[in-house]
Order: sequence, then C-alpha cells, then structure tokens
Amino acid sequence: MAAATDIQTVNIIVNGIELAVPKGELVVEAVKRLGLEIPIFCYHPRLKPVGMCRMCLVETGMKNPQDGTIRMMPKPAAACTLPVSEGLVINTESDALKKDRKGVLEFLLINHPLDCPICDRGGECPLQNNTLFYGPATSRFIEQKRHNVKAYPLSDYVTLDLERCIQCARCIRFTEEISGDSQLAFRFRGNKTHPITFNETKFTSKFSGNVIEICPVGALTNRKYRFRARPWDLQTSEAVCLNCSNGCNIWFDHRAGKVVRINARTNEAINEEWTCDKGKFGHDYYNDEKRLETPFARTGDELQKADYATVYAKLLEAFHGDNTGMILGDSLSNETYITAQNFFTGQLGSHNIDYRFSANQAKGASTVDNSIASLELAKTTLVFGTHLADDLPIVFLRVRKGWFNQGTQVILATDRSDEVSEFAAHTLVYKPGTEATIAKAFAGQVSVADAAAKCGISEPELQAAITAAAGATVITTTSLNHEAAEVLKALDGNFNAYPTGANERGAQLALACDGLSALEQLKKAANGELSALWVVGVDLFSVGLPREEVIRALENVDFLAVQDSRRTETFYYASVALPMTLPAEQDGSYTNCEGTTQQMKAIIPPVGQAKPAWRVFEELSIRVNPRMPFSQASEILASAPAFA
Amino acid sequence: MSELIQLGSHNERPMPPKADELNLRFSEQAIKELEGLKTHYPNLKACILPGLWIAQREYGGFLDGDAIAEVAHRLSRSYAEVQGVATFYSMYNTVHNPGKHKIEVCTCLSCHFNSAYRIRDYVSKKLGIKNGETTADGMFMLEEVECLNACDRAPVVQVGDRYFGPVDEKSIDALLEELRASEESTVVKMADQIVQVQLKAEERVGTIR
Repeated sequence: MAAATDIQTVNIIVNGIELAVPKGELVVEAVKRLGLEIPIFCYHPRLKPVGMCRMCLVETGMKNPQDGTIRMMPKPAAACTLPVSEGLVINTESDALKKDRKGVLEFLLINHPLDCPICDRGGECPLQNNTLFYGPATSRFIEQKRHNVKAYPLSDYVTLDLERCIQCARCIRFTEEISGDSQLAFRFRGNKTHPITFNETKFTSKFSGNVIEICPVGALTNRKYRFRARPWDLQTSEAVCLNCSNGCNIWFDHRAGKVVRINARTNEAINEEWTCDKGKFGHDYYNDEKRLETPFARTGDELQKADYATVYAKLLEAFHGDNTGMILGDSLSNETYITAQNFFTGQLGSHNIDYRFSANQAKGASTVDNSIASLELAKTTLVFGTHLADDLPIVFLRVRKGWFNQGTQVILATDRSDEVSEFAAHTLVYKPGTEATIAKAFAGQVSVADAAAKCGISEPELQAAITAAAGATVITTTSLNHEAAEVLKALDGNFNAYPTGANERGAQLALACDGLSALEQLKKAANGELSALWVVGVDLFSVGLPREEVIRALENVDFLAVQDSRRTETFYYASVALPMTLPAEQDGSYTNCEGTTQQMKAIIPPVGQAKPAWRVFEELSIRVNPRMPFSQASEILASAPAFA
Repeated sequence: MSELIQLGSHNERPMPPKADELNLRFSEQAIKELEGLKTHYPNLKACILPGLWIAQREYGGFLDGDAIAEVAHRLSRSYAEVQGVATFYSMYNTVHNPGKHKIEVCTCLSCHFNSAYRIRDYVSKKLGIKNGETTADGMFMLEEVECLNACDRAPVVQVGDRYFGPVDEKSIDALLEELRASEESTVVKMADQIVQVQLKAEERVGTIR
C-alpha cells in the first residue's frame, strides 16, 4: 500500500508496549493493534463516538519528551472519545480499572431487568458477555427496578423492550448517520430517557433491521425471529443475499433445515456490515407452504405428480428446433445460465433464450465503471432515474456515506423525490417519460430552457444542477430509458448502469440472447406460433407485464414447461413442471451488480425431490448427446470463459 | 402523550406524517421571526430551541405532535430529533397541556421548610387538580418544580415569568383571582417574551406583549 507512507503516526505506549499508530486514531481502536480489547457498549467503529456508556474507561498519562518520565492522570478516561497523541500512555488493565468497570456495569444493570432466560439476545448479548468478564457477580440493588413498556412493536420488523435499554444511542446514531432517516431519538431525560420514534409512529426506515444487530442488549429484537430459537440452537452458514443485485454477504441462520433469520456478514467491499430490510426479513420464501416438491405432468385438465423420467421424456419430445423458447428469471445461479445456454442452444438448437422483460433492458447491457466501495470516494454523483434506497439499497448507503463523510455532491434526477433527495444538493423531479430529454440537457444536446419546460422543472434549478454535474459519476439502473442511458454514457464522468435483478449480471455474461427476446417469445406464444416454452425460476405474472397478455401467451403455447421452486401462478398453466432448489439449497455462484462473482455452498437440504436447475439441464443434455456430464457447480463455472 | 409510551395496537402503528400532510399553523409573524432566528446560527439544528419557543407561543402554550412536526418541517430536521429536544427541557410543555396559567410551586429545600407542600395542597384542593394536571376549564395547571433560585422569598410560586413570594393562602387566593380575571395566557406571554429576547431589534415583528 503506497498510501500508507503518507499517514502521520504518533508513538504511544499501551500497557508498557511502545507502538506507532496513525495520528488521531481513537484509543479504543489503537489498542486493537496489540490484540487487546476494551469492553464497549455505545462505541461502534462505523458510528461517531459519543461516550455515553463509560464502559471503555482506561488509565491515561503522558510521557515527558525531555526526561522520559511518565505522569499518569488521576482519573480514568473514556477510550472511545480519546484520540491518540504523541507520548500518550495507556493502561487497559489495572485493579482500579477493574473496579471502575464493575461500577459502570453495576449502574447499567440497575434498571436492566436481567430477563436473559426469555430474551432473544441471550447467548449473543454484549451486556451478558461484558458482565461475565468485567461485572459484579451479584447485585446489591434490592429496590424496585424501573418499569417500562415491554415488547413494543416499533414496526413490522422491530420490537422494542424499553426495560432492557441501556441508552447507548447506537440505534439513534445509526438512523442519523448511516441510513439517514433520523426516525429514532431519545425522548425525555434522566431516568425516563428512552429511544423512540416521533409520537410513537411506525419506524419506517428501509434499513431498520440493522438496529437490531447493533443493539448491545436485547432492547431491539427481530419480530420475525422472536422466540423462534435460541442463538446456540442455530446453525450459522455463510451465504449471499439474492433479493437484489447488491449481493450482500449474510449469515444464514437455520435450524432443522429451515431458515430462521438473516444477519449481516461483514464484507468491506460490498455491504460493510449492513443489510436492507428486504434482504434481512425477505427470506420467507424458503419456508413457503407453496414450495414445489415433486415433478408434475399434465393429464387432461389436471396437473398430476410425476417422476423425473416421465417429465424428461415429455420435455425432449416437445423441445427441438428454433420454434421453441426459454425464459429464465434474473436471480438464478451462473451455473444455471451457463448450462441453460449450452443445452438449449447447443443441444436443442434454439436461440430463443432470454431473461429480460423490459424493452430498455433488452437494448442496453449493464455498464459498470465503479465498484460499490469506490462510490463513496466520488466527488460528484448523479443519481439518474432510479430510487436507490429501493432498487439498490447498499449502493444507496455508499452514496450517502460519501456525502456524510467527505461531502460528495449528490445530484438526483428522478420522477419523484425519495430518500436521496434528503441529502442531495440538487433534486430534479421530472415528469415521467421525459428521461431522454433531461439526459440530453445534461449532455448539452438540448437547450436548458426547452428541457426545463418539457420536463416540468424550473430553468435555474436545471441549469444549476447541470453545472454542478460536470464530470459526475452517473448511477442508474439497466431499466433506464435506453436513449437516456446512451446519452449519459457519453458524458465525461464514470457511468454505471447497475442491473437490479439478483444475478442479472451473470445472466448477461452467460446468455447469448441472440434469438427472440422474452417479450417476443410471449407475443409469438400468444399468437399460437410458438410450439413450446420453458419458463425457469420466474413467475411471469409478477414481472410487470399486462396480465391478459401473459394469460394469452400461456394458454396458446402448445407445451409449457415450468421449472420453479414454488407453485407460482405460472405453474398452474404448465404442461410439465419441475421442482427447483433455492440458492441456499445448492452450490452455486452469483455475480452482483458491480461484477463480483460470489460462491455459495449448499446450506440446507433441498425440499422434496427438488434439483438445481443446472443439474436438470445436464441430465437432459446427456440424454440428447451422451458425454461426461458436469457433476459439480464449480466445474461448470470453470468451463465458462465469461467468468474466468 | 404521557412520559411513558402508551401501548397502542400491536400491529398497527400510525405512519409518521409526510410533509404535505402537516397542518401548518405558524402565523406570518412567526414565520418572519423564524427566518430571522435562522440567521443567528451556523446551522438549522441550533435553531431548534428558539423555533420551539415560537411554536409554544403559536400553539397556545402546548407543544403537541403537530407543533413539533411543524418546527421540524420548517427547520428541515427530523420529527424525532425535535421531539427529543423538546421533551428534554422542562420549560417546553410537551407532556401536559398547561392551560392558560401554569402555577409552578417550588418544592426545594428553603420553600419546603417554609411550607411549600401546604401551599401546594391548598392550590390542589382549591382547583381540584393534582401535580401535573390541568383544570377542566383549561385555566390552570399545577406543577411542582425544583429550585426557582428565590429562597429569600420562600415559599415561592412562579406563574409565567413572574415570581410570587412569600405566598400564603390569602395571597394565593388573590393571585388566582387576578389570573382568572386576566384575558391573557401567561404561558403564551412568557413564550412570546423569550422569542422577543432572542430576536434582534430590527427583526421584531409583533408588539411585545
């Protein structure tokens, strides 16, 4: 690291050991360089220090530069708010400190209900752990404890237990500094202080799940996980969230083959240690009652359970030649896309294979100049035509972090104001459908006055935003109007059209898409011109197409094969159906919006007879053309040059 | 709103109000004053306290959710943050509606020695209200407060920005009669005076009450 030489260091002494640490680093961080740990509650490395809990007390002193004598301060100081300076002497272990910590913990525990046996946090609670290591073994407090509201539903996801709260303000600082919605604050003071939303309204933050994880006690708990398991009963596995294209790293906590909860797993390059609510609380589909467990084949009007051999025979009979089509979802594994392409085009000879449902998406592939992590370093960012907190939540956090930490100038151009407009320097709300005009105004191809009039924006506002956006890093999604995307791409700065489908990027790399597009296939099917259609991992009724068109297409196609994990609405139109495993039930790799390919191992057993989609394609493939099939997901990925 | 959360339905929490759902009640004078005050501070966060004083005057002495939401909206701060600030300070009336006159009885040491509790009980009995309650006609509120820094006049009672003391039953009777007869709310008057004190001379819009 070349940059490391520029960092100014100071010499400090920790527990008698001399070391050089970057100037201005907090003591609580500096001692970690020696492998020491100071007990903390309110301090969080990603939040600004406040020094509320007083748990991190250390003894400090100064070394005299002339004669080298050390003079200690008479009282301990909070390590979380003390930056290191030249000659600072720190003691993290002493009898006095043991007493201090014991005293602080005794105070914190005065009003804590100690209901650990019925607390969701019990077993993974920093207060429990710190009390075990540093606290008093028994309580001297015999008076009535403060009583307060328990199990208060702050939102659909978060439960608040005020008796357990130790007023560390981590949740409050999270909503102020990271998610930016500032929906929590301390109300009242002294003994009555409690964190709560304005007038007890719903906590509507799109990142509310994170406060559960950073809460150092059991005051904020997960409503969906409440009383479902104890932490020590859970098996925890590394996984990747596939609810959107950011590809957050998660801990997948499961018990007896069922997913119980999702926690964030630290990955500095992608999600740091945050998740969005869609990811953290959106994995119910694993335990869905409508999971498809066996193959089905249609006999007359009825779909009846069948075996794989029957279904395979029917599939191979129906699919051959260019008059057939395959439509894949955008959240399948790379291996599925690779084998689908090989099998469908290579073995069955049809080029009609596609994953895109919007015309804009079909015209322009995603272009990415910036990794997610590099977005926080951008000087100017133009967020165009997307609602970041909904479409790309983790990108939203990065953009906000850039603004919060180093004042990135953010310009927002979109069809309604959203979370980004809270901190954007310029917000342009244009009339829907005028994306191309406003993009051309940014490129100077249309006069500002004309564009302002057409898009319903005031001219000075637009002019100011255009001036500010010179050389900006553009962030948009692949579903942006194609014309607008082309114009923005030609601008000076970096251009990022991030895909929004969980593995849209992988599909784009693996699939040739040189035949009929998904929309064309459906159109042809509706006219009765398509002999067979294969739908893999997508419910055609939930992709935003007009219902009647989908119904017409599904009813008029001669043979419909559906391969999915659930009995979706499309399933009921199927001629044959195959059960498919979900990401945590199979080995696989997924490429996120910035192009990072992440591996995922099978964590829980598949439901019923469900198979990974790539295995089905391989099994069919060797029936058409006998050869040595791929037996592992990793072999498939290694065989594809696009993912090398 | 009580000091502790009222437990509502377990499933339905009201949503925080959107900007266009707010019922804004600041008068033109208040808006002008707030514009003036905004220029006194480096950022809008610092303007929350004077903003709340304006709201306390405009909303008749009681900072309910609407008042707090309006201040937050006008200062571009979050609702929760402004409510946190308002509830922290006891001179903002966020918990109970103080009515027209807030009778604050000092119960600290010197006043206690000089029968502050007797005075408190007398007022309480006479008005039929307890500590922290407001009379049914919305005229008086009784509150026990900590030291008012007027031990020489113990037992002392504060109404609005005026101290009365030493008080006894007779002077309390006279005080209540006087307050009942007055048109003006001492709570609103005090809020107004605090606003005026913070404004520069050229920024004052209304007449000082």
